[in-house]
Amino acid sequence: MSLIYLTMKKTIFCGLFLLASTSFWAQQKITYEAYDLPNGLHVILHEEHATPIVAVSVLYHVGSKNENPNRTGFAHFFEHLLFEGSANIGRGEYSELVEKNGGTLNANTSQDRTYYYEVLPSNQLELGLWLESERMLHAKVDIKGIETQRSVVKEEKRQRVDNQPYGSFFTEIFKRVFAAHPYNWAPIGRMEHLDAAQEEDYVNFYKTFYVPSNATLSIAGDINIEQTKKWIAQYFGSIPKGQAINLYRDFINLSDEAFASKYKMQKSAFDQKNFMASASPAAKNLITSYLNQPCVIERPLKDKQPITGVIKDTIYDNIQLPALFMGYKMPSQTHPDTYALEFLNEVLSSGSSSRINKEIVEKRQLAQYAFSFNYGLEDAGIGIMAAIAPKEVALDTLLNALDAQIAAIKSELISEEEFQKVRNKFENDIASSNSSIAGIAENLADNHVYYGDANRVNTLLSNYLKVTREDILRVANTYLTQDARVILYYLPKEK
Amino acid sequence: MKSLYLLLILILTNGVFAQLDRSQRPAAAAAQKINIPASQVFTTANGITVILSENHKIPKVSIEMSLGSTPRLEGEKAGLADFAGSLLMSGTANRSKDQLDREIDFIGANLSAGSSSMYLSCLTKHLDKGLDLMTDVLYNANFPESEVERIRKQNLSGMQSTKADAGEMATNATKAVNFPGHPLGEIMTEATLQNISREDLIQYYKNNFTPQGSYLVVVGDITRAQTEAMVTRYFSAWQGGPVYQSDLGKGQFDKGNRVIFVKKPGAVQSVVYVTFPIDIRSGHKDQLALNVLNGILGGGGFGTRLMQNLREDKAFTYGCYSSLNITENGSWMSAGGNFKNAVTDSAITEILKEFAGIIEAQVTDEELSLTKNNMAGGFARSLERPQTVARFALNTIKQKLAPDYYQNYLQQLEAISKEDVLRVAQQYFTAKNCHIIVVGNEEILPKLLVFDTDGKIEKLDAFGAPIKETKSADITADQLIEAYAMAITGTTSKKALLKKVKTLKTYSRESEMSSEQIPFVLTSTDYFWNGGNEASKMEMPGMVLQKSYFDGKAGYTFSMQGGREDLKAEEIAAKQKAIGFIPELNYKANGMSYEIKGIENINGEECYVLYTNDGLAENYDFYNVQSFMKVRSTNIRKMGEETVETTTSYADYKEVDGFKFAHSFSLTVGKMTLNGVVKRIDVNPKLVLTEDF
Repeated sequence: MSLIYLTMKKTIFCGLFLLASTSFWAQQKITYEAYDLPNGLHVILHEEHATPIVAVSVLYHVGSKNENPNRTGFAHFFEHLLFEGSANIGRGEYSELVEKNGGTLNANTSQDRTYYYEVLPSNQLELGLWLESERMLHAKVDIKGIETQRSVVKEEKRQRVDNQPYGSFFTEIFKRVFAAHPYNWAPIGRMEHLDAAQEEDYVNFYKTFYVPSNATLSIAGDINIEQTKKWIAQYFGSIPKGQAINLYRDFINLSDEAFASKYKMQKSAFDQKNFMASASPAAKNLITSYLNQPCVIERPLKDKQPITGVIKDTIYDNIQLPALFMGYKMPSQTHPDTYALEFLNEVLSSGSSSRINKEIVEKRQLAQYAFSFNYGLEDAGIGIMAAIAPKEVALDTLLNALDAQIAAIKSELISEEEFQKVRNKFENDIASSNSSIAGIAENLADNHVYYGDANRVNTLLSNYLKVTREDILRVANTYLTQDARVILYYLPKEK
Repeated sequence: MKSLYLLLILILTNGVFAQLDRSQRPAAAAAQKINIPASQVFTTANGITVILSENHKIPKVSIEMSLGSTPRLEGEKAGLADFAGSLLMSGTANRSKDQLDREIDFIGANLSAGSSSMYLSCLTKHLDKGLDLMTDVLYNANFPESEVERIRKQNLSGMQSTKADAGEMATNATKAVNFPGHPLGEIMTEATLQNISREDLIQYYKNNFTPQGSYLVVVGDITRAQTEAMVTRYFSAWQGGPVYQSDLGKGQFDKGNRVIFVKKPGAVQSVVYVTFPIDIRSGHKDQLALNVLNGILGGGGFGTRLMQNLREDKAFTYGCYSSLNITENGSWMSAGGNFKNAVTDSAITEILKEFAGIIEAQVTDEELSLTKNNMAGGFARSLERPQTVARFALNTIKQKLAPDYYQNYLQQLEAISKEDVLRVAQQYFTAKNCHIIVVGNEEILPKLLVFDTDGKIEKLDAFGAPIKETKSADITADQLIEAYAMAITGTTSKKALLKKVKTLKTYSRESEMSSEQIPFVLTSTDYFWNGGNEASKMEMPGMVLQKSYFDGKAGYTFSMQGGREDLKAEEIAAKQKAIGFIPELNYKANGMSYEIKGIENINGEECYVLYTNDGLAENYDFYNVQSFMKVRSTNIRKMGEETVETTTSYADYKEVDGFKFAHSFSLTVGKMTLNGVVKRIDVNPKLVLTEDF
């Protein structure tokens, strides 16, 4: 259970460029069926029988950018809490049930979404659907669970951010590049916000974002579509629509008095075993009126504000070697320039033969290690360029050398050989990324939610292959704005 | 019937909250038949069996070549095959290693090689280029001298760490005891590695890399016709001698339990493996039932018998597992874990009890179904990797399995009964004819005697070879110290010795340290002052990694990760026991506890062993019986439940201004070995030592 951006950073530190959620392609078309349930849940089904396994995933369109600025870290914390159990699943049973039935499970949270998945033997599909529908309908979180997960998340932050040299750079750059957008804070959030959280915060977060109309159920693998649809109707179709889901949740969670005072109706007026089938006219009326009240989620707007000028800051960290981190405002991941921007970063810093590596790391030895990448998000993107300096190298010397590389790629077309190597690499990476059904389920869901087009999984490579050397020159000039960027100097803390 | 009813309700209530009993956990549906595409097989004139598994899902092809020879006994050159395998990608007659790496990267391919196999994976459209590179390695590998020596060094460093790694020692003992005189039981040592020449490696390559009896497993986006053309173009020119086939034997079966002990001085935990060979080869019909049996006994997860008993119930360990190894050349079973000294014998009792229990009575239905479900899931998920499919195709041919063996794997697994599990337990397992391997502290030896049927515990070294008992020493500890000090100072009487030692006031020493595991050279500097100060520093260009300082009364250590830490009272007390240019001379006066432990053989040198304990760490120093020079020092420090072992070897003693100093040394901590070369020693330089040195 993790934060996507942290995993991503780690991968980048290993010198790899992660195509993660933005790239996908297959020679053989990925076919799928998509539909909405009456309660608004979007369903995507991909059937392939190569391997008798199935990936069951639910994407909730809620990430750290949907958080209350005084309750940051909540989306990720919730991801942890939602493994605690449900009305019918005891503490610790989520993983136990999956593992003893031969499956695996995990989840992750980004700025834009929270994603849960299980990979199971295909004859356990129904188990996966039950587990995920339980999470969607009536997850149960008690004080003990909150306390436990709060320590786990704090431990996660210590391990991945605080005790990681330069671990704060993501947070620090986002804070400055996104001054007026909730990308301002990182998914891990502030621990004091988690400490300050009250019961109603949990209840409200669950009621607002964990509703079928805000979710995408994506299933890939060895399934029978007709049988799968029947089970989906059973387990997810039975989840109440609109605000009726929250009426039901109050019915099971609130005391008799609290319920009566909130709804002006006794709990006893409802069918105790089958809430939605309550027969009394008053209960029926109330349920119907809540069925018709939609779940509305306010979302932040796209961020197109350029950075104002050059923002330079110095950060003192528990590090031995000074480092430079730069941030540029980039377009959202759905912008067509994204592909050319990824080419640009490959040429600059991917692999030992890339420009920054050859020139700055190997030849001039101004950096121990350097990397750059484009990080596209739903509302905007960010371009990060970074280098760790040997002790005797002044960061301004390093900055000049990096700027010279930027100037060069802005003034001249990249060579044919560089261009071809990067095309080869994308092609190989995209082809390989299609080999797992877990990847297919996730990519279909992502492409539906962010691009409104799950079929983009079939057209991705063509988008990359359309990029020309001229495009790369153009995006370098458009987005690598030397007069509007963030420059962070990381220096060792005085002992 | 139930789901029909539900469907009806759903329709009637217009999809709204039907009477679904959510407390009912869904049951599994019937296991799916696996759709592993059938493979095509053909052979070539030069003896290659080609196995093609077409899969056009992604535009990639992988080609795995594996040689058909069985392993050979290597004797004095044990490790030859592995050494050769790790050098195969080091360059060819046509391409340097760098060129090879670059060309592989340009097409985004993956190419690797081992002692008897090669693997290529790339996009279909780059297959020609990929094969060009692969066959260049296959036909023209040239084993450059410099790479041979680089990899030799890497292996030597690895062996240094083996001596401190109880797990590796236990693995070596397991191989040696289960498979004496069998290639599986041969272990590379420093001596055998040094016996291997570049010529040997080239000879191995020439003899073994022959098409006769080899397999080419082609998986992915390629047709039969394309495969045939590809094989003709790239592999028909491959020529070589006959394949080597030999029956290797099935291992050492004994009557009665044998306790095998490997000494790890100062250990607070023992590694225990209860192991025995089993008479089965991969592909045998009982393999699946044995896998289920192993899964129930201790093959994985928390629910197994070993885990429940030794961890959950007795709390002897963090983990206790069993492993079943079935190969084409020999097979064995093993169960064990890490146990505190005090419970090592109880743990062995419980492990043997679990073996006995699973041989005596049927497993429960719950155990059986849990293990089978777990295995079915793992099997199914593994199929996503094209390599798995390739391996299955190869196994089917090599092990003469039924053509639909893997297709029916899940059904066969499902069909395994409690009776089957009991039958294979009784046929292949034993609780009475086991090899009980213990790597640990000698103090637990007396408690192990009870497990050995003939009452004679055998002792092995870190590489599985029998060791001779330590001889008792013919001199006292004080005599040894004096002889050593005289050797260092070049004196012949005690009086002259003490006088000469006083003339050494200060020294400084600068060394360069390198390691296979670190891509740069470290510089280490030590300062010594007879008044009690000593300091040392380890740095890389522009950065201090470690520093330590002690002035006789106080001091500190500094590390890049931990920053500065002042020495604690007990650390100061310990340091005060080993002060001076030759600290041994002051042991008695400073209250160090020390004793002579006899004579041991260290890399062919007879050495006196001097044991010391400064209250924080135990130390074993080894002095050559003829020259009295110190050749090795092993320091064992307790850190909670673990011990950290540091071994320093000294060599190349040379005189500097009348005093002998080792000019080359190596330092091993855990898996890391640093090799040091002294660059400069100044005796009695002007030295003012302060804590900011």
